[in-house]
Amino acid sequence: MSIENQGGGGQRGDLSPEDKAAFERRIAGLDKRLGDVKSREAAATKASRGRSSQNRGMAYGLRMASELVAAVLVGGLIGYALDHFLGTKPWLFLVMFILGFAAGVTNVMRSYDKVQKDVAKTTGGNIGHAVPDDNDD
Amino acid sequence: MPDPIHQFDLERLFQLNLFGYDASFTNSSLYMVVVVVAIVGFLLYAIQTRSLVPTRLQSLAEMAYEFVAGMIRDSMGEEGMKFFPLIFTLFMFIFAANMIGLIPGAFTVTSHVIVTAALALLVFLTVIIAGFAKNGLGFLKLFVPDGVPIYVLPLVSAIEVISFFSRPISHSLRLFANMLAGHITLKVFAGFIVMLLGSAGAAKFLMPLPLIAVVGITALEFLVAFLQAYVFTMLTCMYLNDALHPGH
Repeated sequence: MSIENQGGGGQRGDLSPEDKAAFERRIAGLDKRLGDVKSREAAATKASRGRSSQNRGMAYGLRMASELVAAVLVGGLIGYALDHFLGTKPWLFLVMFILGFAAGVTNVMRSYDKVQKDVAKTTGGNIGHAVPDDNDD
Repeated sequence: MPDPIHQFDLERLFQLNLFGYDASFTNSSLYMVVVVVAIVGFLLYAIQTRSLVPTRLQSLAEMAYEFVAGMIRDSMGEEGMKFFPLIFTLFMFIFAANMIGLIPGAFTVTSHVIVTAALALLVFLTVIIAGFAKNGLGFLKLFVPDGVPIYVLPLVSAIEVISFFSRPISHSLRLFANMLAGHITLKVFAGFIVMLLGSAGAAKFLMPLPLIAVVGITALEFLVAFLQAYVFTMLTCMYLNDALHPGH
């Protein structure tokens, strides 16, 4: 058929219905194979991203507790020293201790904000975003 | 049971007295020298060929460079690269010290709070000096957040000041505590193996349990060794960023 067509006056781009059907089958097959490869690659990058973000999560987690404790310690220490020099025992210690706690909570909240920003950056800002399916017409 | 704290004992290798201070060369100093020699030796050997297609060692050295440079560019932008020598040195020193400390029998430099505190204070003073040098008194904007009503400003400023001074403490304690706790845990579990083996009767057959635990904890400690170096470096970048851009 195709030979006939080429010999005839038909244009080059013209295909017989059977050829066209075969061609479309091939395209569909390619689409499917490409989709398979794409989804496999996506799964692989997702897995590696999950691993690295797990490490990152651990790094962030290790930070939080010490941020809180250190601020309380420093607040208490400053208060204690001021009390010692100003002779106002124990009032400044109590005030600074509470302020230290507030500073600790501020620290933790700030580093949490930063974690959120970092996570949004590594995942492109779309956590749980679905890959669009381009097989459907 | 062997003493789990014994591994952190300092021993004087050479006695040395400088201006009335005990400046003896200890086993800690020895391991610091080992760490520095290992880093310098590795980097010099790795970049010997300087080929366009890197050898394995060269690509390792390049990876270390890219890792730290990427961290700096992420947090401070291109401007931060002038701190690269400091940050790269800190990262390599802490990472190598943590890793060498995991060799059985070796001394862990970073398991002493005085060492980590010195590193954290170095960062802290760099932040203060660089901050005032670059912004002058504008650096104090760090303690005055934007958009705070005037009547709560004293309170917020006090909190900001405490938060600022708590940085070197959390910075140093985190690294120190993680290394100390990890090494003690390893030693305690290893001690259980010996104790169970030496015990009479059926308890002997429980010996594999702590052995498995030690293998697992050792793997975890390798992760912690890297993570702590990473966290220390990342926080250094964050603090230095405050020196460059105060006021938010």
